[in-house]
Amino acid sequence: MKNTSRAARAAAGVALAVALAGCSGTAPSASNSDSAGASSGGDYILGTTDTVTALDPAGAYDIGSWNLQYAMFQQLVVIPANGATEAPDAASACTYGDAKTVTCTLNAGLKFSNGHDLTSSDVKFSFERNLKIAAPNGASVLLGSLDTIDTPDATTVVFHLKQADLTFIKVLTTAAASIVDEEVYPADKLLDDSQVVGSGPLMLESYTAGDQAVFKANPNYTGDRKAQASQVFVKYYKDSSPLRQAVENNEVDVAWRDLTPTDYADLTSKGALDVIQGNGSSFRYWVWQFGTDVGKQKAIRQAAAYLIDREAIAKDAYDGTVTPSYSIVPAGFAGQKDSFKDAYGAAPDAAKAKQVLADAGIQTPVKITIGYTPTHYGPNAVDEANLLSEQLKASGLFDPKTESAEWTQYQTLYKQKAYDLFMLGWYPDFLDADNYLTPFLVDGGFFKNGYSNSKVNELVKQEQGETDTAKRDARIGELQDITAADVPLIPSWNGKNVAVSSKSMSGVKDTLDPTYIFRLWAISKKG
Amino acid sequence: MAVSGSDKSEGTGRGTGRRPTERKGSRVSRGSLPRYILARIGLIIPMMWVLLTLVFLLLRVAPGDPVSAAVGGKLDPTVIEERKTALGLNRPLIVQYFEYLWQVARFDFGQTISDNRPITMIVRDNGGATLTLTIGAFLIALGIGIPLGLAAGRARDSIRDVAIRLFGIITYAAPIFFIGLLMQMFVARPLGLPTSGIAGPRTQFTVQSRPVTHILLVDALLQGNMAALGDILVHHILPCLTLGLLICGVFIRLVRVNVLQTLQSDYVEAARARGIPERQVVREHAFRNALVPVVTVVGLQAAMLLGGAVLTENTFNWPGLGTQLVHYIEARDYIGVQGLVTFFAVVVVLISLAVDIINALIDPRVRYS
Repeated sequence: MKNTSRAARAAAGVALAVALAGCSGTAPSASNSDSAGASSGGDYILGTTDTVTALDPAGAYDIGSWNLQYAMFQQLVVIPANGATEAPDAASACTYGDAKTVTCTLNAGLKFSNGHDLTSSDVKFSFERNLKIAAPNGASVLLGSLDTIDTPDATTVVFHLKQADLTFIKVLTTAAASIVDEEVYPADKLLDDSQVVGSGPLMLESYTAGDQAVFKANPNYTGDRKAQASQVFVKYYKDSSPLRQAVENNEVDVAWRDLTPTDYADLTSKGALDVIQGNGSSFRYWVWQFGTDVGKQKAIRQAAAYLIDREAIAKDAYDGTVTPSYSIVPAGFAGQKDSFKDAYGAAPDAAKAKQVLADAGIQTPVKITIGYTPTHYGPNAVDEANLLSEQLKASGLFDPKTESAEWTQYQTLYKQKAYDLFMLGWYPDFLDADNYLTPFLVDGGFFKNGYSNSKVNELVKQEQGETDTAKRDARIGELQDITAADVPLIPSWNGKNVAVSSKSMSGVKDTLDPTYIFRLWAISKKG
Repeated sequence: MAVSGSDKSEGTGRGTGRRPTERKGSRVSRGSLPRYILARIGLIIPMMWVLLTLVFLLLRVAPGDPVSAAVGGKLDPTVIEERKTALGLNRPLIVQYFEYLWQVARFDFGQTISDNRPITMIVRDNGGATLTLTIGAFLIALGIGIPLGLAAGRARDSIRDVAIRLFGIITYAAPIFFIGLLMQMFVARPLGLPTSGIAGPRTQFTVQSRPVTHILLVDALLQGNMAALGDILVHHILPCLTLGLLICGVFIRLVRVNVLQTLQSDYVEAARARGIPERQVVREHAFRNALVPVVTVVGLQAAMLLGGAVLTENTFNWPGLGTQLVHYIEARDYIGVQGLVTFFAVVVVLISLAVDIINALIDPRVRYS
């Protein structure tokens, strides 16, 4: 009897668990299994490996944070999906008076999601606050050319710049230029993530850092970026492996940033999900360290530029998910030209590499240390580094060795001249050729590789202030030619913007453009 | 047995007899439970100090800093240095160290550098997920480990014994992320089980919108939301099983060895001699006594369980403290890592203390040793 009753209790326990599991549906689809929440047809779940630093626009300078901010906040102007020029958002227009003055006119009747009016005073407050806080992880540096702001009336904002800067309107499209409510946000410190409020197409319902964010449509939003789904879930994943499992298991509807190239190829071949590719603007490049005996010799830099086989790297290291890059500026930008192809050819040329080294009297093979970081840029960075090393070695002109370090240590090592040539990657802040020139070429670039060319510095200054498009394009072209001749860095490839989506989604393809803005408001689930 | 038996009346210090070492007028005698507990609590302070110092120094010695980790790929070194200075990271190490100790002494664990979250908030928001994961895993470990250990101990050197021992070794030795991956690939899909997270996003949103304890499972129960409860339980299956398998190997081996020893002991032989059926001898004499050392091991396993939870959480995208810890390590967020490691340490220390006290209560020999 005793045993029978124990067995009965155990059976009852198991039955309860099964019954509870049954209540959930136990289906792999999150949208099916989550019977706890009411679901409308258009709601969807985005899965991503991006991290979020802060929801307050003054506190972040990363794609993960910015993408949530684009949904929650308005900027004065925005870049529409696959568009090249700015479109109205909070402002009906922003125009240059001269190269040092930008005037924006706000649309009438703008409101934050809490019902407060959005006026020029909020805009002024937002910019000044961002600069005042200068958060360690923030993007106040993008507003560096801003001098003062005037607000002659409630709908007019006049930005006075320290120097001529034709990229400033582009800066206005970034999340760093998001407009916040001066009645809610403190002027001198960041607002807690749980309290953020904006005037964008979506408003935050709940946010658990590193886990998930939930948005609903903002009823006070009156602009062109109307929310297509009444509720949007963003689910955060630690790395690509569980994200892939989740999208294959239908636990998320869309996986964006980042699965591995191998995952994309595999999922494409299986065909159960849509692997959608859009134009990208990410940039992978190899930087020469001018502080080493190898890196400071122009002939060695040029010889390596002759030898790199970008097609092989794109095909073998990245399964064809990237496009070989022959310029510091990606294709599609005004003024772009394939300067490295013009200077060194599309295919490797060992003979010319040998010639340039011989002309300079450099003994071969040249010992060279190639540095890379194995995880920060994804697992395929290792393959790329090894391929480049093999290509250099195969020529017989170089004796390369590769060394790697994790991201935080890597940054210290490349500044300490541990590598002759090292790998870096870049996502643009805004879509303008200048965002690929100033950060890389002026006084050694942000990576401080020791390269300095007064002509380059002067040309950069000129293109930033040049109002004549043709002249500006010419200067940008000249800068690319000088880069190809001096070789402070070697362009490797430009990435595509790729998402994996269930077949029931709409709007995903349209948002995959070089801005890397995932327009959460523009996506919905069909049916 | 004699020692244990004689101590029974005196173990709690409430006995009438005085021990030779007990001084007249002394409120706590050597071997008394309060004295034992006080000694154990006293050990916590130097232990925590050593740990805090190690964590502080290791993080500073490790390459990288929170600013470079976050924006190092965008900003030039001058700006990065300015930002580090503004955060106080360029001050002398000794100043930072004593400031840190003073903060901890006031139970102020600070706010993370990378995303401005108070440590207490992280523990509140993510601690519940780790708690339910470890409890679930522990129950699974006991549920698998004890019966299998018993079965192996009863059939020494049989095929069953060898198979169970092998199973125990494999589950203990196999990397947790590997087992997790196998579970996701070969168990989740055929059974339609979720592969990541503590609940579906909608369930999580619904339950978290009315938090009571911040423990999702408990909140769903308190809200009477059975559908949510079911969803949460289903999400627990694979992570708990993966972590539980890691721990169950220890229990299998421990229970097996203890069953073997007790089956050979005098009192079991005496029970057999009295004609008690073998099944009853095993269940009521050997098995119960074999379980006593398991209590000790429970405490020792707490650290292993939390360590395993870090890996399990990362494999299953579990929103617990382990995932947060890895995130802050990658971000070189000193405050985040220090705060969470300290919290983990406090939990392990408290569990060890509780186990020591329980042991002292069960077995008075402990407090005299």
